[in-house]
Amino acid sequence: MSVFTYSFAVRAYIAVAAVGFAAPLVGAFLVQRRLALIGDGIGHLAFAGVAIGIALSFAPVWGALATAVVGALMLERLRTAGRIAGDLALALVFYGGLALGIILLSASHRFDASAIGVLFGSVLTASTGDVITAVALCALVAAMIVPFYRQLLAVALDEETARAAGLPVDALNLLTVTLTALLVSAGMRVVGLLLIASLLVIPVAAGSRLAHSFRDTVVWGTAIGVASGLGGLLIALGQGSIAPGGTIVLTSILAFVVAAFAGRRAARRHPRTAP
Amino acid sequence: MPLTVELEGVNFAYGASPVLDGASLALSTGEFVVLAGHNGSGKSTVLKLCLGLLRPQAGSIRVLGGSPSEAAVRRRVGYAPQGLRVVTSIPVSVGEVVTAGLTPTASTLRRDRPRERKRIQAALAAVGMENLARECLFELSGGQQQRAILARALVADPPLLLLDEPTTGIDQSLRPRLAAELRARADAGATVLAVSHDPDDFHAVLDRIIVIADGHIRQMTHEQFHAHFEVS
Repeated sequence: MSVFTYSFAVRAYIAVAAVGFAAPLVGAFLVQRRLALIGDGIGHLAFAGVAIGIALSFAPVWGALATAVVGALMLERLRTAGRIAGDLALALVFYGGLALGIILLSASHRFDASAIGVLFGSVLTASTGDVITAVALCALVAAMIVPFYRQLLAVALDEETARAAGLPVDALNLLTVTLTALLVSAGMRVVGLLLIASLLVIPVAAGSRLAHSFRDTVVWGTAIGVASGLGGLLIALGQGSIAPGGTIVLTSILAFVVAAFAGRRAARRHPRTAP
Repeated sequence: MPLTVELEGVNFAYGASPVLDGASLALSTGEFVVLAGHNGSGKSTVLKLCLGLLRPQAGSIRVLGGSPSEAAVRRRVGYAPQGLRVVTSIPVSVGEVVTAGLTPTASTLRRDRPRERKRIQAALAAVGMENLARECLFELSGGQQQRAILARALVADPPLLLLDEPTTGIDQSLRPRLAAELRARADAGATVLAVSHDPDDFHAVLDRIIVIADGHIRQMTHEQFHAHFEVS
């Protein structure tokens, strides 16, 4: 038996690969629209959902999912209605979600190590059911992005022109935040609710240093997401006592640094000059 | 000639600042019209009203026989804003920007890729960028970016083109080519309404100049336009 064959390790590889693949698919649209922090806001809100799940004795992931989706839709409504500034709305959600979660967990005497696992990930203790749920949510995210990719890109490029062209911009924006909520719930076990937003953003940022188009950024982003997820997990398993959530995120940051260096070097050696 | 755009007694104000005061306008099929005026006179506002992005406080607007708020009408309008609205660290290729112009009319699940590629190549050729489809938009000059945005408006061959300062940043030597392209579109049956500070760019090919001043839309000859703007 080795870190490649233990059943808990195999479950972790599958969950990490699924989240590492799906997160940049959504993240690319969030980064392009300067909404990178929305994943963080939804993650904090999902913590309250986890606490509700625990307090009411049902699986925390479903509490997280329901709260994340409802919260994401409300956040988008507030943002588009201009009733509240985007950063203020996020701040309210950030701190409100976290505070509500702490209150509910401590009131039900469950504010213990399991809360740390939810916030920072505990993929090595994921059950088969947890992994199936995470993979199913990631597959749903990918399956929704493929048919709507071009519409989502048109909105991300220029929302006003997309609206002027008759695209259902409001519905596509709701789809984007809903997919973000699904992804946050899927990543809860892998890197935790406080770190999941990093997998939405960092692999995309790394991919953008190597690409000349949005599509190539997405392709590189998913490859880097999977590679840094598996690499970070291997480091944690090899070392034995480090939490994988941290190593996965730090590995993706290392991938960003390497990509930035490689991209700059490639640009110097093969400058693309338009005629 | 059937009317493509009809504004009748339109009032519009941003808060307490009136922009249009009973403005009326009628554009016929196949017309190439330049909309001129001073900065802040309401030129872009007229385009946004025609696109349904703004709603008039009084009066009526009909575009392509329907309301500009209908998605089916909007899908038949090609719009080129002035410059890029979103610039982020994610690269976007010229081809991807132009493809976005086909998205509203394309089926979500069934795509005719060879036909789309042909249309994209034709739109890029129309603005002199046939070899730049794979280039990153943000690495190009401002004029080339503007031409890519223009290609996005042209790619679906819409019956109505609404263009906001389409020649901004574009090389003087290329402007006659773009003007001729827009004339050819009008001759083929499209209506072209181009907002421009400088109607001279289109002098040789346009049908008429309309000017916004004091909330009203007036028609002027080229000579009247120059006399008016040189005096005022």
